[in-house]
Amino acid sequence: MNAPDRYERFVVPEGTKKVSYERDTKIVNAAAFTIEREEHTVGNILRMQLHRDPNVLFAGYKLPHPLQYKIIVRIQTTSQSSPTQAYTQAIDDLDKELDYLKKSFEDEKNREDEKLRQGY
Amino acid sequence: MSKKVSALDMPDVPMGQLPEHLNRQRTRVTCNADAPIHTDAVHYSGAYSLMGVDNSMGLEKFSKNFKVEIVRLSEDEIEFDMIGIDASLANAFRRILIAEIPTMAIEKVLMVNNTSLIADEVLSHRLGLIPLDADPRLFEYLSENDVPNERNTIVYKLEVSCKKDSPRNTVKTSQLKWLPNGSELEMATLDKSAKVKSYTSFSCSQDSLPEISKKPLGVKHDDIIIAKLGPGQAIELEAHAVKGIGKVHAKWSPVASAWYRMLPEVVLLTEVKGQDAEKLVNKCPVNVFDIEDLGHGDKKAVVANPRACTLCRECIRGVNEELVELGRVKHHFIFTIESTGALSPEELFIEAVKILEEKCDRLLSELS
Repeated sequence: MNAPDRYERFVVPEGTKKVSYERDTKIVNAAAFTIEREEHTVGNILRMQLHRDPNVLFAGYKLPHPLQYKIIVRIQTTSQSSPTQAYTQAIDDLDKELDYLKKSFEDEKNREDEKLRQGY
Repeated sequence: MSKKVSALDMPDVPMGQLPEHLNRQRTRVTCNADAPIHTDAVHYSGAYSLMGVDNSMGLEKFSKNFKVEIVRLSEDEIEFDMIGIDASLANAFRRILIAEIPTMAIEKVLMVNNTSLIADEVLSHRLGLIPLDADPRLFEYLSENDVPNERNTIVYKLEVSCKKDSPRNTVKTSQLKWLPNGSELEMATLDKSAKVKSYTSFSCSQDSLPEISKKPLGVKHDDIIIAKLGPGQAIELEAHAVKGIGKVHAKWSPVASAWYRMLPEVVLLTEVKGQDAEKLVNKCPVNVFDIEDLGHGDKKAVVANPRACTLCRECIRGVNEELVELGRVKHHFIFTIESTGALSPEELFIEAVKILEEKCDRLLSELS
């Protein structure tokens, strides 16, 4: 009766932004990104990639409540970088890795198809 | 007084590489009898910088270490290994495979006649769960304001009955007929002179579309029981299938299931010979160990098939001395994808990677 519609999990409603950015007032070079209608699938990957960046001092994500479909990613960097820069860099790196992964898989699939066709 | 030497300069410590025990902590999960340890991955690139070891992971290093190996491939199932990725990426693929790849499934059922024992809504629920043999990439989503047409709906008809004085018959999915010309039922209107409208407006037959005419749209499995009819009962209905994703309802999930596990590693800590070897081999329910004859009736146990280990821990249960150490290799994942039939399992994985790429691109492009 009170459950929200299932499509609310991934459809961003009119008026809300998908990604919003809020600078932390008390700590320098720290910010919180609120990503609407995403969950662990993307949050955990982003956090993992941010941890790999040597300029990132703090990176974490959380789902404030399982019935509110958004994640908050908090990033703090050294003075040599900024949270937005770290976020953009992390997603760029992820894109490149996924591209390489897709190509590798397609190559392996073609190799398997060749093997089957030749009756190995 | 002996000269003080730094621990790192000792001759048996490899320079530029991690010592054995630290490397084991970094790359393996050790599964002890009570709980696993060292389960977290070490992501920080400067974690071992004091030892002169670089733990960074850039695209070049990723490309060098990454490998895909397909172990088994059939029409419905694929088992493949991905070496060199992190657990979060493996989990993301699993979540996307289960919930975010679009499929076609029956959503609207128009009941004309149902005198069977199965209630309308139960029958409709069952129809929704039937896997359809339709490539979802050829169709578009149907939203609330759209008109159902040949580009976003597939129409099926089920018209069965059981004659009086005949035994009960079973309604199977083979009796679900595809209607390429759209809905045959007419919408009721008060205005008698207006043209009759059907529930869908197909501008052309789906048969004539080039991609669909190659393979007629039907159900994947012909022998799924939908209902059973006794004498004198009949079912007549029309079902409309639309595109959706597993997040909205599990009927739209394209996989029977998709799962992954880490590569098991079984290490014998000491030489196990003779009777003890026999006992060890018999303990394991999946035959991870095997006997190797050394000649003169002497035999020892070897690890023959570590990949089969299910971590039942039978080999380390109740023993006084440690013979075996069980572990998992951290960045080596064995994926198994079982498809329900609309897309082949390799195609499913490629779609999953594409969807993850789209998500990442959206995160970047919509940053205000």
